[in-house]
Amino acid sequence: MKLARLIAKNLKRRPMRTLLTLLGVASAMLLFVLVESLSAGLDRAMGGTEAARTLVVYRQNRYCPQTSFLPESYVERIRKIPGVVSALPVKVFLNNCRASLDLVTFQGAPAEELLRARPVQVLEGDAARFVRDADAALVGRAFAARKGLRVGDSFRFGNITVKVAGIFSSAEPVEEDVVMTHLEFLQRAGPVNRLGTVTQFEVKIDDAARAKEIAAAIDDQFRTAQEPTDTRAKLAFLESATRDLREILGFARWLGIGCVAVVLALVANTVLMSSQERVREFGVFRTLGFREQHIAFLVLGEALILALGGSALGLGAAQLIVETSHVSIGSEGVSVGFRIVPALALRVALVAGAAGALAGLYPALRSASRPVVAALREA
Amino acid sequence: MISIALDGVTKRYTKGEHVLTPLENVSLEIASGDFFVLLGPSGSGKTTLLNLLAAIDRPDAGRVIVGGTDLAKLPSGRLASWRSEHVGYVFQQANLVPVLTAYENVELPLWLFPMSRAERHRRVSLALEAVGLLERAAHLPRQLSGGQEQRVAIARAIVADPPLIVADEPTGNLDHESADGVLTLLSRLNVERGKTIVMVTHDPRAAARGTRRMQLDKGQLLDLQPAGTP
Ligand SMILES: Nc1ncnc2c1ncn2[C@@H]1O[C@H](COP(=O)(O)OP(=O)(O)OP(=O)(O)O)[C@@H](O)[C@H]1O
Ligand SMILES: [Mg+2]
Repeated sequence: MKLARLIAKNLKRRPMRTLLTLLGVASAMLLFVLVESLSAGLDRAMGGTEAARTLVVYRQNRYCPQTSFLPESYVERIRKIPGVVSALPVKVFLNNCRASLDLVTFQGAPAEELLRARPVQVLEGDAARFVRDADAALVGRAFAARKGLRVGDSFRFGNITVKVAGIFSSAEPVEEDVVMTHLEFLQRAGPVNRLGTVTQFEVKIDDAARAKEIAAAIDDQFRTAQEPTDTRAKLAFLESATRDLREILGFARWLGIGCVAVVLALVANTVLMSSQERVREFGVFRTLGFREQHIAFLVLGEALILALGGSALGLGAAQLIVETSHVSIGSEGVSVGFRIVPALALRVALVAGAAGALAGLYPALRSASRPVVAALREA
Repeated sequence: MISIALDGVTKRYTKGEHVLTPLENVSLEIASGDFFVLLGPSGSGKTTLLNLLAAIDRPDAGRVIVGGTDLAKLPSGRLASWRSEHVGYVFQQANLVPVLTAYENVELPLWLFPMSRAERHRRVSLALEAVGLLERAAHLPRQLSGGQEQRVAIARAIVADPPLIVADEPTGNLDHESADGVLTLLSRLNVERGKTIVMVTHDPRAAARGTRRMQLDKGQLLDLQPAGTP
């Protein structure tokens, strides 16, 4: 349609104003996208394929891996409980239990069992070498990307040094931000030798519907033991670990809504100005035989281009930031990355389209409905 | 070919208690092929009358019949397309779209017609040629002189081949030479293509081009001597 080309030309009429509006919209939408992508990352973290069939056994009344200690020997008793398919003793070591932008999580478990129990796929490197070498580690691909690690590298953290034997992907997204090591290696690695204790057990069960029942059976086993346990479904475990993050995100979403309001105001302001400058021109168009709808289309089109164009810029910038920084937010050992998925891009387009349409509505109606003669008399 | 009849036309503006009646019970006939010149002091309602003929305004009373169509009976949804088919409007200022080239400005009215690109091109070229500005087709309005701009505006007014051309002081902003060019153009459109022309002017030299002249004053029309008769 030729009118669309006219809209584009009109935007070039005041290039600086158009540019500033686009940049403003882009900045606001960048923020919106980052908030939404963190939310998408959180959803993904919760959405592991195995989450429903996995229980996590933790030390009762402990919430941080640094303070949860359970005897490794519990594993035998857990395995005997009906409904339990497998149990994996896991030692977790991490740098920070609170919300953090640079979470480093080591998880140690008996190497072969670990590979069997977790839905990981070694992308690069060698699983056999991992099993063989005591100080070898398999590194999740998100973590590897964040730290720039490659197979064969050594990675040093505190007084722990591991050799990267492989890089893996996982069907459980949170695990892709984890460094997996041998159990014993990690038990010996801390300042105090913790041989014989683990942080948690990961229990696979045969029937997701019986999760509550089996969890209760496990906790019953150790009710009177020195280290009582607290067993929860993995999903519930993840949810409690990310509770703080969730709350912050809930607040951040208001910011996201504020960003959309900024887009609305920016676009409305620009379009209002540009349509007011062209009152007479619109009168000429109407005299030539253009209809009210044509005028409305010109104004609305301008608003949509500004909103959608600026949002595309913001989305692109967010993508760039997420891809180059690999930043993720960790909380209680659970790492949540920013994810820009097609569904989010679609949502951005819808939100931007709606904001643009809303912003353009009033100027469009006003311009279209002005009597021709009155428009022509305008200076 | 198109003829015009105004029958008891009244147009008034009300501002608070103040009522202004630029046209009061005005009747007028303009034959097809006339070059009709409308004179009158400022504020006498000349533009108001043109706007009624061009169907961008409606009278408070009376009938405006252009080419056999009673404009008052035309539903407002039909008015726009009626305008695009029947009237070419030339303003005092060229009123070109600044971001469009001369060619695109002239092409503008044709966007409203189902027409092949080639046909549009043919018509725009003809219109630009008629006003002697074909070689300026790619220029933007700000790259043209005032007289050239006004000629582009005339090309825009004739490109869709409307039978009626209304011109509101088309030479009001131009120097003598440019004004002569524009007036000659309008005369030729009248003589060679049989366009009915209604032109408002203050300029006696411009008025002399008309085949009929009338004066509007205090809401009333006065017939002046046809040009050329003693
Ligand atoms: N929309 C309007 N609202 C109020 N008054 C108006 C409106 N349009 C025109 N008028 C008044 O009607 C009168 C006639 O206006 P019009 O523009 O037709 O005069 P004109 O003869 O074309 O004058 P000029 O030679 O200065 O162009 C003027 O007094 C003008 O102020
Ligand atoms: Mg006037």
